[in-house]
Amino acid sequence: MSQYIVKEGVKNLQKPGEKLITTHCCYCGMQCGMHIRVNEKTGKVVGVEPRYDWPVTRGKMCPKGVTAYQTVEHDERILTPLIKKNGEFVKATWKEALDLIEENFKRIQKESGRDALSVFGGVSMTNEKCYLVGKYARVGLGTRFIDYNGRFCMSSAAGGFLKTLGTDRGSTLPWPELEHTDCFFIAGSNTAECHPTSIQWLWRAKDKGAKLIVADPRETPTARVADVHLDLKPGTDSALANGMLHLLIKNGYVDYDYVNERCNNFEELKKTVEKFTPEYTSKITGVSVGKIVKAAHIYGLSQKSVVMFARGVEQQSKGVDNVSLYTSMALLKGQIGRFASGVATFTGQGNGQGGREHGQKADLLPGYRKLTDPEAVKYVSKVWGIDPSEMPKPGVSAYEMFDEIQKGKIRGMHVICSNPAVSAPNLEHIWNGFRKLDFLVVSDFFLSETAEFADVVLPATTWAEDEGTTTNLEGRVIRIRKVREPLGESKPDWEIVSLIAERMGKGKYFPYKNAEEVFEEFRLATKGGKADYYGITWDRIDKEDGVFWPCPSDDHPGTPTMFIDQFGTPDGKANLPCVEWKEAGETPTKEYPLFLTTGRVVFHYLSGAQTRRVKFLMEQCPEPFAEMHPSLASQYGLEDGDLVKLITPRSHMLVKTKLTKATRRDTVFVPYHWGKELAVNQLTNPCLDPISRMPEFKVCALKIEKYK
Amino acid sequence: MNKIMYLEFERCIGCRSCQAACRECGDHDAKERNYVEYVDFMESRQTYPMLCMQCKDPACARVCPANAIQITEEGVVLSAMEEKCIGCRNCTFGCPFGIPKFDFEENKMYKCDMCYDRSKYDIAPMCASVCPSDAIRFIDFDEMQQLRRKRSQMNLVEGKKPQEGNKWEYVPEFFGVYTE
Repeated sequence: MSQYIVKEGVKNLQKPGEKLITTHCCYCGMQCGMHIRVNEKTGKVVGVEPRYDWPVTRGKMCPKGVTAYQTVEHDERILTPLIKKNGEFVKATWKEALDLIEENFKRIQKESGRDALSVFGGVSMTNEKCYLVGKYARVGLGTRFIDYNGRFCMSSAAGGFLKTLGTDRGSTLPWPELEHTDCFFIAGSNTAECHPTSIQWLWRAKDKGAKLIVADPRETPTARVADVHLDLKPGTDSALANGMLHLLIKNGYVDYDYVNERCNNFEELKKTVEKFTPEYTSKITGVSVGKIVKAAHIYGLSQKSVVMFARGVEQQSKGVDNVSLYTSMALLKGQIGRFASGVATFTGQGNGQGGREHGQKADLLPGYRKLTDPEAVKYVSKVWGIDPSEMPKPGVSAYEMFDEIQKGKIRGMHVICSNPAVSAPNLEHIWNGFRKLDFLVVSDFFLSETAEFADVVLPATTWAEDEGTTTNLEGRVIRIRKVREPLGESKPDWEIVSLIAERMGKGKYFPYKNAEEVFEEFRLATKGGKADYYGITWDRIDKEDGVFWPCPSDDHPGTPTMFIDQFGTPDGKANLPCVEWKEAGETPTKEYPLFLTTGRVVFHYLSGAQTRRVKFLMEQCPEPFAEMHPSLASQYGLEDGDLVKLITPRSHMLVKTKLTKATRRDTVFVPYHWGKELAVNQLTNPCLDPISRMPEFKVCALKIEKYK
Repeated sequence: MNKIMYLEFERCIGCRSCQAACRECGDHDAKERNYVEYVDFMESRQTYPMLCMQCKDPACARVCPANAIQITEEGVVLSAMEEKCIGCRNCTFGCPFGIPKFDFEENKMYKCDMCYDRSKYDIAPMCASVCPSDAIRFIDFDEMQQLRRKRSQMNLVEGKKPQEGNKWEYVPEFFGVYTE
């Protein structure tokens, strides 16, 4: 198989003594195509070359992508296992580390039962690894407590899509079609900063006259170029979406043929949204009536439209409702399943799509099968070679695992590819949980804030030291290539979990010699499930520029556009939601009069464990800040760059202010990529969505004080 | 080389990918030579990229007492030649756009050379390659002319008409090198 893949007529700069290896970025769900430059003699990674012919991103990269290769041979990589002795990490051999893990894991399970161990996974790794983490927890350790960081990322989108459309694929259409779209309705996504290479598609369409509507409390770089910016109060998305639905119905923008034939519940929806007049909606959301009406007309009149959203609407205690309502805007207009139209969420993590489909979630098995479905348990047990009765029952969500630690039910944990000590809400609770644990193992390639709590740290490889596949935000399965041999004694995650499983006496279930063998089993495990990867092979991915799931057989072309004829629900019809207005879990009060909202900056990724170690990115954005309107700042005598104390009912922190008029006057924004005393997640509210168990990162009540 | 570096300021999202990519160019010693700045962050998040204009008769080269700044046959204005540069910084004062940078440790000037190691083979410079919003593009002269006509056309479709004082809004900025 060729390592450097390029289409005819496309030129790359190839320097003498260097080779190019074709792969994708390790960061967000855009999974931008890139070639990594490798020195042929030394095998070392020396740089990056744009992959001009990758159809989704066309050589474009954000600053994280350009510098991603710098993490591979970074000075701070963990190169041997580390064992904590008297509070200090000391280097150890793999044997010593595995001995210690075996001893403690066995002791804990003997004393407190199988479920006393737990696994906290992540989705910034390949499908092969994500799949195996699920199997590791359920077969290797035999525990029901497994969940993953996608719970803080994609779970509301998944919940909303499952409820409404019956199948959760992040985008119902392939993104190169976006250039033909007439109108984008983007809610709660600052895509210019969080998925920068997506912007090219918006501009391609805009160049042809497409309209852009953005709902966001801040006038982000995305909102700045919008035709209408709906500057809503944090946490009022469900009212805004209901208001939009009200106007679509009132103004006759509904495609009744489509709705009658393909949707349930229209009459109920109509009744619920009746009271959401522009005036009522405006009162709740704080958006002017004129803007709401204008947005509804632009959206209603456009022929081909895409509704897009991201964590802004999903990371709320009403995340699932918000997703269902925004999705319904596309359904009423009859857009889903048609050309250049539909609905899409911006997947936050590299493999946020693939990683959530294959059994890292507390209640899911590979192929998007439900753990509560006996047939699914039977099938997956057969693939795994275990008795269905041995399959553990569903566990609890990521944040709730820390409640279980407090209750003493979970005593040991293995954190893989995640850094909840920065990315979970209400961090003091999380930190206390880690301290309370009897035994904590962390696999990572940098000493993350979570790894600092560990008893044993296992050196994992970066994305560039292993083969595999990921699924990008469209639902396209793509190929990640090994660029160099693993650094030091580091090992890929699939090998690490196999080694531990072997120590737990389950070695025969983990016989893999390479990632492709994992992929072959994983294909089989997904066969017949909703997310069916059975027909996808590594070879096909190269030949076809990635393959869209579901792809049930070798001769199946994959499914670029979802729901052309029917939806994934049992009756094939979409379920329109009926959602009454409900406040966020915490709203401003006299004592805490402001909104606090959190998010990303373009220079950092998730908990920052990787990007905070890249020089260029740290030069651009070294620390968090409190972004606020100058009119708010002046009420507290604050000037640009002053230290301000942010206080919520949970905790407080000190940051510098950053003033701009491009935001609401009642809202303070703080990016979340830093740990310890710089972590804004000390302040965020762990109020969970009742269905997706997503914490409300995006809304909580805040008071501020000038720091003297 | 009949290519143009084409800028559309309005598209800039301030990600500074062009600067990260500039450092990646083989001949750039991991130092960026381009700029991304806020117009005024207090008022808006609008940013804009700035690159060397590759002037036909560059002030930087004219004011160089050592003749260290060479212009290639395609018209690319290169960084000062290491062996000739005397570190006087005239070029940095002479350039009307504030482009040339000065390395005080090495005592020499460096500037954008349109990634000459790439562009001489008609491969796009790193900044234009990666720019996520196509605010920086490396395109044919003809395509540039077409884009300019297109822009006016889109304004007409939307019923906008240039008036005295805002005509510049109707023409995107461009510059570049091309042989006649």
